[in-house]
Amino acid sequence: MDMKELEITASLANLELQVDEMVRFSEGVSRMLEFFSTMMEVNVEGNEPTTHALLSNNRSREDVILESGCDMLKSAPEREDRFIVIPNVL
Amino acid sequence: MIQEITRWADALSDSEKRRIYEAYVDTWEAKIGAFLQFDTELGLSLPRGNGSLSGIPFAVKDNIAVESFRLTCGSKILESFEVPYTATAVARLMEHGAIPVGKTNLDEFGMGSSTDNSSLKKTSNPYDTKRVAGGSSGGSAAAVAAGIVPFALGSDTGGSVRQPASFCGVYGLKPTYGSVSRYGLVAYASSLEVIGICAQSISVLKTVFEIMRGEDPLDHSSLPYPAYHAEGLQAKRVAVLDEVAGLDEPVKAAYERSIAALKSTGYSLVPVTIPSLEYVLPAYYTIATAEASANLARYTGVAYGRRTDWAENPEELIRKSRTEGLGDEVKLRILLGTYVLRSGFQDQYYIRAQKIRTAMRKDFERVFAASDILLLPVFPTLAFPHGNDGMDQFQQKMADRFTCTANLAGLPALAFPTGLENGLPTGMQFLAPPFCEERLFMAAERMRHIFPEIHPEGYREDWR
Repeated sequence: MDMKELEITASLANLELQVDEMVRFSEGVSRMLEFFSTMMEVNVEGNEPTTHALLSNNRSREDVILESGCDMLKSAPEREDRFIVIPNVL
Repeated sequence: MIQEITRWADALSDSEKRRIYEAYVDTWEAKIGAFLQFDTELGLSLPRGNGSLSGIPFAVKDNIAVESFRLTCGSKILESFEVPYTATAVARLMEHGAIPVGKTNLDEFGMGSSTDNSSLKKTSNPYDTKRVAGGSSGGSAAAVAAGIVPFALGSDTGGSVRQPASFCGVYGLKPTYGSVSRYGLVAYASSLEVIGICAQSISVLKTVFEIMRGEDPLDHSSLPYPAYHAEGLQAKRVAVLDEVAGLDEPVKAAYERSIAALKSTGYSLVPVTIPSLEYVLPAYYTIATAEASANLARYTGVAYGRRTDWAENPEELIRKSRTEGLGDEVKLRILLGTYVLRSGFQDQYYIRAQKIRTAMRKDFERVFAASDILLLPVFPTLAFPHGNDGMDQFQQKMADRFTCTANLAGLPALAFPTGLENGLPTGMQFLAPPFCEERLFMAAERMRHIFPEIHPEGYREDWR
């Protein structure tokens, strides 16, 4: 993978890569992609994609509020009352 | 209660016995580092019920939630995260009286085969501390092998319970996909992973599995466990691969001994070929990394976990928190997964991998039409050394080919110990059709009479 493609991919993944990391990850990713390309040898005609091994249909539940009984907000790195604090958006 | 494990309940029954037990744990921990958190006091303080596991301590891989304990996933990004809820599988064990006493080390987010990818601690093999315990559930397998707990929970995405179990000479069960609720298991590759068990005996494995399994309204991919198949008891036909290449000599020897053992216990061997086996690895890593890139997008430093010290705006906060908090192997897999899901590349990678997955399922349907269970090696090498003398990340990935098949097809698989080679444990695995765990237990039980029970030096039943 060239550096330009890696930069786009890293930005989509919300990761920042330093110059030395760019070289390292580009090697690692390229090696795996080359390996992935061996899948092109397989004739997959007539095979539908399998998304889950044993699931045949989607399941839904009633649209009701479930009481979890736990306070997820206490895990926030910075908060004010019931709000999570982040830097200014504008 | 199972007779062979009452000594663990006894060890926690009063403060003097607990002191002796904890000294035993400390001696082992100084050598193997299996736990990221070990706290009998905290475990004992949590509410629990009564049942077939009353008073029995167990360990939980640190990507499975236990309220009041930390949930680090072996990652800096969650290093101090205390989880406010408990995984369904753990809660069910606690309802039957079991006591969670600690959280075990793992490759960061379950990504690796050595536990050396943990950002928080080094875990070593109880049989040789210069070697890895395997991974990603290395801490769980090592803790069981050392006799610290009679069983420990792990997660198996591509072999992460079975491979460390076989490196450490214990049993490792990867149940049928969906048979155990994943509620409270930190998501890595949702279509592949399942909570599994490391244990020192088949009866413990079986008891724990029977308690944990079954549908859970909190996990929509969980399935009701069907009524027991009586025909499983008649299982007499074992499929073996026509040809197995690439095994190291000691593993090959153990594999051949297992085939001989099966013959001697009255199984008939059915030679099979599984053509898709050649392509399972690229398909597996395409799917696993794609799902990982989506699942790990949630670590932003906003709502929980580690946040960067300073950022000018929300986007920078997310980028910096992820960049500082995630390790190299995790970043590599996120990058790969992001790439294969990018528009224009999906047909070439992700969709194609899913079609190969279908070919695999068809292969297995054919295999199990002619046989009841399948014998496969677990890993082509013995436990390898830490660091540069061992295997690099790419070599480790290439060695997952015997384990990741069960995950792609959703099948149950059980790794069982087959004795020592060069002083290190070896292990093989049985695979069965979905929901036929009973056949695996039965076959492993037969093998138990052939392969002697093994323990590492320093293993004590009286804790002294």
